Amino acid sequence: MFKNLPLITLIAVFGLLSAARVYRHFGRRRFPFDSYLCYTWLFFLTFLCAELISYAVSIWILAVISFWAIREYFSLINIRLQDRVALVGAYLSIPFMYYFIQTEWYGMFIVSIPVYAFLAIPILVAWGGKETEGTVFSIGAIDFGLFLFVFCIGHVAYLISYSVWMAALLILNVLVCDLIIFLVRHRFKSAAARKYCSCLSAMPIVMVLSLALSTWTGIPPIHSTILALMTPVLVQMGHHVGRFVEADLGIQEDLLVPGRGQILDNLQSLFYAAPVMFHYIRYFLK
Amino acid sequence: MSAPSRISRTAVALHLILLRPFMKVFCGINVTGLENLEGLDQAIIIANHNSHLDVLLLYYLLPASMICRTHPVADQPYFSRSGWLYGLVNFLLKPIWVTRGKRARDYDPLSGVKGAVDDGCSVIIFPEGTRGRPGEMEHFRSGIGRLMEQYPNLPIVPVFLTGPERALPKASALLLPLWNNIIIGPPQKCVGSHREITQQLESVLVDLSKSEQARRHKRRLQKPSSAGCLAILGIDGSGKSAISATMARRFSESMRVCLVSDELRLFENGRARDIQPLLSEKVRQRISAYAKTVGSLKQYKIPKLAELLLRDRLLNESRRWYSPDLIVMDSSPLLNLMAWSVLYDQEELDNAACSTALGILSGLAKDVSSSDRIFKRFPELARMKQLGLTRLSLPDMVILIDVDSATACQRIEARGEQRQVHETDEKLDRLRRAYLQVCEVVRTDWRVPTMIINGARPLEGVMEQALQFARERILNEGS
Repeated sequence: MFKNLPLITLIAVFGLLSAARVYRHFGRRRFPFDSYLCYTWLFFLTFLCAELISYAVSIWILAVISFWAIREYFSLINIRLQDRVALVGAYLSIPFMYYFIQTEWYGMFIVSIPVYAFLAIPILVAWGGKETEGTVFSIGAIDFGLFLFVFCIGHVAYLISYSVWMAALLILNVLVCDLIIFLVRHRFKSAAARKYCSCLSAMPIVMVLSLALSTWTGIPPIHSTILALMTPVLVQMGHHVGRFVEADLGIQEDLLVPGRGQILDNLQSLFYAAPVMFHYIRYFLK
Repeated sequence: MSAPSRISRTAVALHLILLRPFMKVFCGINVTGLENLEGLDQAIIIANHNSHLDVLLLYYLLPASMICRTHPVADQPYFSRSGWLYGLVNFLLKPIWVTRGKRARDYDPLSGVKGAVDDGCSVIIFPEGTRGRPGEMEHFRSGIGRLMEQYPNLPIVPVFLTGPERALPKASALLLPLWNNIIIGPPQKCVGSHREITQQLESVLVDLSKSEQARRHKRRLQKPSSAGCLAILGIDGSGKSAISATMARRFSESMRVCLVSDELRLFENGRARDIQPLLSEKVRQRISAYAKTVGSLKQYKIPKLAELLLRDRLLNESRRWYSPDLIVMDSSPLLNLMAWSVLYDQEELDNAACSTALGILSGLAKDVSSSDRIFKRFPELARMKQLGLTRLSLPDMVILIDVDSATACQRIEARGEQRQVHETDEKLDRLRRAYLQVCEVVRTDWRVPTMIINGARPLEGVMEQALQFARERILNEGS
């Protein structure tokens, strides 16, 4: 019984999230946290799949999330007619990268987007047509999307191969930080006060969580503490960048639907948290 | 022409099992206003047409029971070009074939549609007739009006589609997974002549296209504002800053006006507005304050020059950041600089040399060779050219408030301010003459509308004259 306690807890959390989703589905009023719940649920579904069914299944669920996210992003940016070939390349780089994650080939995973996709996009843009105006913006915009929505989410996927519990802790910590950011967002007038307050109040909670779960995750207490200090700041950075990106893409807070910024809005806290935590764990604990 | 046969069961199954999930998962679809389709048994569905994906998106909306009796209107010659495409379209959609642009006496393009409607079928019509330019709606053809004239009780469902023009544009055969937004408007019933009906339906669809759900963000490409610049010149004590401030306020009743005076201000609706501070403005104010306190002319020159150059820079910066419709400048850096060089030149400067120097400073005269006489005469000009400071902007309108030096001195004293180092009777007089000469050059050689107003009169009269002059020029420019 106690041997399976982590798994039982995971199933319990997943059950809780599912129940919340079902409840919200039949609820009458829309709630801003609904879609966030959906993505957290999806992440916990991948963890459960990794533990119960197969690691590969969970990887490809994350690949689908990447696809959804980057599809939304491409729907929002301005693309020219001749960037379409490059967009196909960008979409194809999702299976390209996730395949190396599935085979746990770290060296190839870490260069797949930054080297191969990065080199492929400009040549595909150039092959797409003869128009030269806007080339730099197109290449930049497509590459940025790849890094953010494929490479960053890919780090969560690779973290699952190290340990499902570490990945679950990451998502849980990010969830706590997001919740606190959500709760304090109307309490303060100045943006700086809001940021400091959410960071400082998230730190102890995240720390308690990380330390309490350190026997399951296998992260020693000292590293748990450091990670707990880092996570709220990283989440805050992700939000800050996300806010700028959203504003430039014309995403409105009151009109968040899939395809118009909802996915980006829900994943923005992972942009910094996932890669940095992954590399921290890889450097110190592997 | 008889009504087309119903879509077969296999095709309906294909729609439901293959096409719908594909569209939902691969392409991504947002639907707004699905309740408008509820309870409709037969309808004419009209939509804007940008892509081949449009018709599939419309089928995506229909309940399963309606799929088999809904037919789009399609151009036969276009689809007949490829055999397998024709077969596929015929199998999946069973279109009502028409021939675009065919004008024969016994050919009625609407006969097929009428047959289908009489048979109890719904019809999908793209009233634009063809896939237009991406993201733009063209005027409706009159066919839809002619049809609805005969079936006044048939509901018309307007649907606006955004996204297909990006997912599968006319110019590309590559289908990309990008989100589509479908906005369904309330069913319409139209009465009137076919022209009125067409017009009415078009306006309904245009309204839908302006709805919040259809809005697609476009990155704001800021065009540099080409706001005209009105410069008000005059020696100190001529009342030019008071006049420019009042003019800016008066003009701001109908437009955004930026005032570049001792401080930078933006007026809108007759009131000053809070503006984002600019760094160069702060620097300029510091330098200007310093220049007013110095004791000798030698120390005065360099800060004043820096102030003038910064003032010119502000002109462009305010164009960029505040996008005004008009900029009112209290003294123009270019013309001031010119007047000062006339003032300090030992010998009398003739109009031709003055004009050349103006051309060099404003960067408008391209064909002045570096061995020109003017550079020997003004070595500073060569230095400024070396430093790249020859992009000073020439104002579009110039008003010179002309007062004699005695009046000016009186006014300065009445203000109770300490005189600046250069403000002696004799200097002011020469400066006044220099301004007159520069204005003459600007008007004759550079064809800038220029007005010289006698400023010794009461301020109100001067103001009225200046306002009238500027208003006429601005109206001329507008037309």
